[in-house]
Amino acid sequence: MIETSWPPLIIVVGAGGVGKTTLAASLGLLSAEQEEETLVMTFDPSLRLKDALGVGDEAKGEEVEVTSHLWASLLDAKQTFDRLVARYSPDDRARDRILHNRYYNHLAGGLAGILEYMAVERLFEVSESGRFRRIVLDTPPTRQALDFLEAPTRIVDFLDSGALRLALRPWFDAQGQLRPTAKLGRLGRRFESYLDEVVGLDLLREMVEFFQAFAPLFDGFRERARQVEVLLRSPSTLFVLVAGPGEEKIPDALFFARRLRDTGYTLGPIVVNRMHPAVEGYQPRAAAGGGQIDGLELFHWLGERDDRGFRELGQLVGVDYPLVGLPLLENEPSDIETLHQLAEQFRRRLRESVETHRAVS
Amino acid sequence: MASILSPLASRELIVVTGKGGVGKSAVSAALGRHLASVGRQTLILEIDPRENVHQMLAAPPSGGEIVRVEANLYLQHLQPRTVVDQLVRERVRVDFLTKRVLDSPVYHHFSEGAPGLKELAVLGHSLLLVQGRVPDAPPIDVVIVDAPATGHGVALLRAPRLVSEVIRQGPVASMTKEVAELVADPRRCGVVVVTLAEEMPVTEALELRADLHSAVQREPDLLVANGLYPPVPVGAGESHDDEGARRLWYRRRRLNDTELERLKRHWSGPRVEVPLFPLDRGPELVSEIERELSR
Repeated sequence: MIETSWPPLIIVVGAGGVGKTTLAASLGLLSAEQEEETLVMTFDPSLRLKDALGVGDEAKGEEVEVTSHLWASLLDAKQTFDRLVARYSPDDRARDRILHNRYYNHLAGGLAGILEYMAVERLFEVSESGRFRRIVLDTPPTRQALDFLEAPTRIVDFLDSGALRLALRPWFDAQGQLRPTAKLGRLGRRFESYLDEVVGLDLLREMVEFFQAFAPLFDGFRERARQVEVLLRSPSTLFVLVAGPGEEKIPDALFFARRLRDTGYTLGPIVVNRMHPAVEGYQPRAAAGGGQIDGLELFHWLGERDDRGFRELGQLVGVDYPLVGLPLLENEPSDIETLHQLAEQFRRRLRESVETHRAVS
Repeated sequence: MASILSPLASRELIVVTGKGGVGKSAVSAALGRHLASVGRQTLILEIDPRENVHQMLAAPPSGGEIVRVEANLYLQHLQPRTVVDQLVRERVRVDFLTKRVLDSPVYHHFSEGAPGLKELAVLGHSLLLVQGRVPDAPPIDVVIVDAPATGHGVALLRAPRLVSEVIRQGPVASMTKEVAELVADPRRCGVVVVTLAEEMPVTEALELRADLHSAVQREPDLLVANGLYPPVPVGAGESHDDEGARRLWYRRRRLNDTELERLKRHWSGPRVEVPLFPLDRGPELVSEIERELSR
């Protein structure tokens, strides 16, 4: 499963702040070192990682070469959405009607799930282009890191739901008055003003206009979302789960692992990142105290905590998935060389883990 | 009792925000305990798919209900969706209609997707709590919202303005206006930003501060730098003898110091540093953090 035999798509998932981006970058480097054209797609990496990969804002929307065989791009959700609208619009007028709709602008920027959907959408776009042998996707930094897996289904559901058909009915007449209530005379007008009070007709008008402008795009969108879902569930898409160290992070990791497995995605190695190493030859002091925490005492505690967590997780996931522990580094990787070191460590520990599993089974 | 927390003691709403995994829940719990100890009727409102805060305070899980933790301190865990549903129940008083609304796919997509709606519902619920307008709730002076990760934290505070742009009249609009006033008033609403002294979290905390400024023209009332490694002992250099854990400790602490410096360069407001404790999450850890905060 390692190196050249890796699948063409690798998706790095996990809770926020566990080092997904750094790991995604080093996995990409590992692949590029096999002389395979590799793209790392990421959301807003830290400045230092931007330095390490040598990419800045110019990588928004296009791929930038980092080092030989390694490319990087930064994802921009709004831009991707705009492009998608442009692609499925029958003509420029239809496109502009959507792009200038106020509701669309709120929706594209603020709607939960759009960012996630745009990540898989962009993944699909690039993977279709066939330009890369391998793509590593660093998933968005959401607390619910698996939201994006549901994004295509949610979009299809939404497109198929009554919400749209309802919205597409001719609600408003040419004067901007509600049609159904206009027929009812005075009673209708009272109902209309009641509706106006509760939600505001302005909002309804804009929503209806948005959906009507969007209608010609539905089929393209629905088909696209389905294809994206097929891609995610394909056995050639491998998920790498990254977790933080320590016992309290175990439920998170298990939750992700089970969700991925139960919903039919291909889960590969589980990485426990930033583990504090054991303190060798540590002697507890007779009477700690005096308020000040001793550094070695703390590291001893953290080392034991992380080791305990790692072993517990290993027992819980069993032999199904190789478990890879990566140590807390002295410095965060800030150039290709340090990324390379991290990648090597990952490769070595993954091999050890796979061999242990083989010995067991 | 003049501490860095004193200015927060008179607020009605305190939003605790920051990147995932920086210890927001522990800080919310510690802040809650502190405000309760100075006599404020305090409720910690946790908005997250999973419950955490009750563990910190050794309280029973809330499961949506208001739970009493100790004198003056309450806890409620809510799924944002539940709050929106409640709002519908209040507005549409006819039972069978309510059910039809709540079950309809149109409502489902609207409540999941409408920008700002869930966030507004959370703030609206907090406002009703401090106004004593939530049935069966104890009197509450201050609500501490343990906000979801950063992006959402700003989204929470930005929501009233976003919604008021599209809904301009009617009861929802007037509630939105009330909430917007609360959030914009620094005497009534406080914002606490929690971060680790590491590169990405500090970068995000500074971005959050900029976003806060542009979205609601607010500055954080307090910045908590959490989980610091212990200071390097005086006189310790880069000796060759420093191997393994000691070396890692010094390096990580120096990294903390670099990032604390960066924070200080960009943020001159109230700031407090909280060390990493050799304690699992629970009341003991919360007590230690409370002690550091209220120093």
